[in-house]
Amino acid sequence: MNEAGRVWVLVAHDLRRRTRSVIIWGVALGALGAMYVALFPTMGSLLDTYVNDAPEQMQQFMGNLSGPITIEQWLGLEFLNFLVPIALSFMAMAIGARTVAGSEERKTLDLLLSNPLPRWQVIAGAVGTIAAALAAVLFITWALTMAAVPAAGVDLGPGHLAKALLALWPLCLVFGTLAVLASSLLRRGALAIAVPGVILVAMYVIDGLGQVSESIKPLRVVSLFYHLGPTLESDFPWTAFVVMLAATAVIGAAAVAAFIRRDIYT
Amino acid sequence: MRLDDSAVLVFRRPALDPHHPDTMTTAIHTESLTKNYGRRLGIADLDLEVRQGEIFGFIGPNGAGKTTTIRLLLDLLRPTSGRATVLGLDAHRDSLAVRRSIGYLPGEFGLDVRMTGRQLLRYYGRLRGFDDLGAAPLLADRLGLDLDLAMGRLSRGNRQKIGLVQALFHRPALLILDEPTSGLDPLVQDTFLQTLREARAEGRTVFLSSHVLSEVERVCDRVAIIRSGRLAALETTTSLLEKRRRRVTLVFTSPVDASAFAALPGVSDVQAQGNVVRLRLADGMDAVIKTVARHTLVDLSIEHPTLDEVFMSYYDETGRPS
Repeated sequence: MNEAGRVWVLVAHDLRRRTRSVIIWGVALGALGAMYVALFPTMGSLLDTYVNDAPEQMQQFMGNLSGPITIEQWLGLEFLNFLVPIALSFMAMAIGARTVAGSEERKTLDLLLSNPLPRWQVIAGAVGTIAAALAAVLFITWALTMAAVPAAGVDLGPGHLAKALLALWPLCLVFGTLAVLASSLLRRGALAIAVPGVILVAMYVIDGLGQVSESIKPLRVVSLFYHLGPTLESDFPWTAFVVMLAATAVIGAAAVAAFIRRDIYT
Repeated sequence: MRLDDSAVLVFRRPALDPHHPDTMTTAIHTESLTKNYGRRLGIADLDLEVRQGEIFGFIGPNGAGKTTTIRLLLDLLRPTSGRATVLGLDAHRDSLAVRRSIGYLPGEFGLDVRMTGRQLLRYYGRLRGFDDLGAAPLLADRLGLDLDLAMGRLSRGNRQKIGLVQALFHRPALLILDEPTSGLDPLVQDTFLQTLREARAEGRTVFLSSHVLSEVERVCDRVAIIRSGRLAALETTTSLLEKRRRRVTLVFTSPVDASAFAALPGVSDVQAQGNVVRLRLADGMDAVIKTVARHTLVDLSIEHPTLDEVFMSYYDETGRPS
């Protein structure tokens, strides 16, 4: 069997194990998306009033909103710019943390590595699983959200939403791969989620506060959310997309280097 | 169909490098193999040679370094110094090739509780490049294991059987087993030990780490005793057992002078109580019999201590090195 074939066996096995969890994540986020779409005709006009009456800083914090509120702005407000990226990043981190440290804690890593499996393939398989699981959840989210569009009678093209969701994919992948790296270095599954989790939340907060605070504004460049921008309201962020994929590759390579060098304990 | 326990599993010969000098005779070779965990010693200067086609017992109490040695052979741990070759290949540099020819059962292992044994074995089979279950159905049948139950529903003994089957099902040239009979009932232990004998008959090698000395005594050709990370003894099981001190009980018609026995070479722990003399005998049976012949003997019994007593002679009563 060639190397790619063995990595595929790892990914396929891991995805099969996670089928139920992927469906649950997808349906949960998709139902939320559908709910946001369905609520837009009612909430849109209420939000117009709210935004127009809100202080300027609050308007900035909400992404420089100004009326009349569009479906893109409405979905971006919480769903696409907060719920989906944060929730899916944690899902990716949970998968990444289980790869090395989690398997070590569950004492399953010995058996796996007694097979003729180079350690880099374990890492590649984990990153592949995260990428595929994220893609599947995003697809289900897209499908369920779009299902509500005709009923709600809003103007939201399927390609438009698909591009916005696709832009979130490498962001979540970066944090999932960070968890793989932390999992390789720290040997403890809980820490492997906590470390990238803190980075994720810090990046989100810095980007949000940077929109209203001049003193924090310069720090926004360290936040991936800043580079990503509002995915539904702007053009597809090609540069950020490519840079985040490159970052995933670099972090993955670091995880391989860390994992190859270290002892495996039970 | 339930297969008879005596059914012989047919195992393929491993593909090895025929040009390597160790290939034909040595399955495992370690040279000054040392592993430290920070300041704590794992193993030190371990020199081992396991021959191909033998069942090699590796015994010692918990913490002696058995598992550390095994994990070094599998490249799960990296040595502090020294080196190990497995089937003629460097345990670290050629780890991938080594693991192709090894079946490994860890002392402690976890299983995905939602998977069935069949799914696990199919997965591991695919990672090894084949799509069938190899010898798994036959082994499962012999061990009385249902491969279609979710592993979370299995008892400890049945989980151990899953571990054994996954170590054996791909017909490895070398089996490395860490406490393999842990949790198995005596009947299954017998079946399993028979399977190991069959593997040996096929020319395969078994490295059996255990502190169940009776099973080591039953199946192993040679035994190494590890003590505080260092090799304390390496001998054939037979010669190790020959060194054991037999317990001799002599019953005479009347009290005798026990000091006559205590003075004999190879005799120790002489105790006299009425007409009965008890002693331990390492060698010098002839001298004992000649001394006994001076008196009228009513009864004579000779107990052969198990390997446990031989093993414990390397340790004091607390289990620490003697």
